[in-house]
Amino acid sequence: MPTEWKLFADLAERAGDKHVTVDASAGDTVGDALEQLVADRSELEERVLDDGDLRSQINVLRNGTNVLVEEEGLETELKEGDELALFPPVSGG
Amino acid sequence: MHVLGVCDHGTGDDALERVVDRLVDRLEREGRVGVVRYDATIADGMQAHDSLTVGGDVSYELGADGDWAASGTGMTIESVVDQLAVDCDYAVVVGVDGLRHPTVVVGADGEAAASADENDDRVIAAVEAPGDLDSDAVLAALEDCDPHETLESLVDRVKRSPKAELSGAIATFTGRVRAKDDADDARTQYLEFEKYEGIAEERMASLKTDLESRDGVLEVELYHRTGVVEDGEDIVFVVVLAGHRGEAFRTVEDGINRLKDEVPLFKKEVTVDDEFWVHERS
Repeated sequence: MPTEWKLFADLAERAGDKHVTVDASAGDTVGDALEQLVADRSELEERVLDDGDLRSQINVLRNGTNVLVEEEGLETELKEGDELALFPPVSGG
Repeated sequence: MHVLGVCDHGTGDDALERVVDRLVDRLEREGRVGVVRYDATIADGMQAHDSLTVGGDVSYELGADGDWAASGTGMTIESVVDQLAVDCDYAVVVGVDGLRHPTVVVGADGEAAASADENDDRVIAAVEAPGDLDSDAVLAALEDCDPHETLESLVDRVKRSPKAELSGAIATFTGRVRAKDDADDARTQYLEFEKYEGIAEERMASLKTDLESRDGVLEVELYHRTGVVEDGEDIVFVVVLAGHRGEAFRTVEDGINRLKDEVPLFKKEVTVDDEFWVHERS
């Protein structure tokens, strides 16, 4: 089953869409899903990756949990039906 | 409080009134309902109804059991909705086009108006005749939308807490749209907030629980508007009911700081000569 990315703020503008479905599925990693997300989206890739590494300001959530802080980062393994989110620093208030 | 607009798009008869009646009946089964009717023909100090009292810019007639009638001058739709938010569960606003709240459009042109509307997520139902109205569906759609809150409605809520008898202090924070950082700054027209639907609410709820578990803190209310918020309008409120002022002040400050750090909300700023995402400039 494919995995859905939700994108926010300028990341959605650069990707041209707020929702993107990728082929990565259970058993693949968050990094695989990210690679597929940026594959045909050079503007988004430039914004979120620096030499293949995630830029420090970019957040990646899996089902609401920050994979960089509470899980194994881009090595985190996907489960069936995961929702991934990619966003810049939050700016509420 | 949830606000529901009802507007007329080409009804030739009393269809609008019948739709309003049915919606108000349905909402009254759930809670207290305020109804606001906008009528552009009321003007020049002419009051909507004949008042028994004469004189004064605002007059109230009160009965012994709390029934009342009022008339006056100088009221806007925004301020009457804000007043209702304190003690009503729902407000129904009839006859205002372009209301920023969920709206039902009535009339033959309703469907067309709904699809032509740029903010068509605002129109939650379009009905040609009263018989087409599914008031349960309207209620469900309305409950799915963000409620309307004001500083006063949140303060009133914490005062009604069962723990209020232990409270000697309420501290509040209001964040609002700043037009200028300094006198020469290009004026900000509005901010537009995007929210990570679902996750933002989860983070706000866990922040509230966290703050309420502090010693001496009795109730915490957090509220953040999304969508377009105009220059001068309020954006965010933090309200803390506490035993004493010390923990009230500390908690209100930590509350707004953590809300800004932890809740996935994204702010676009539109000034008279620019438009940008705030995180890209700070």
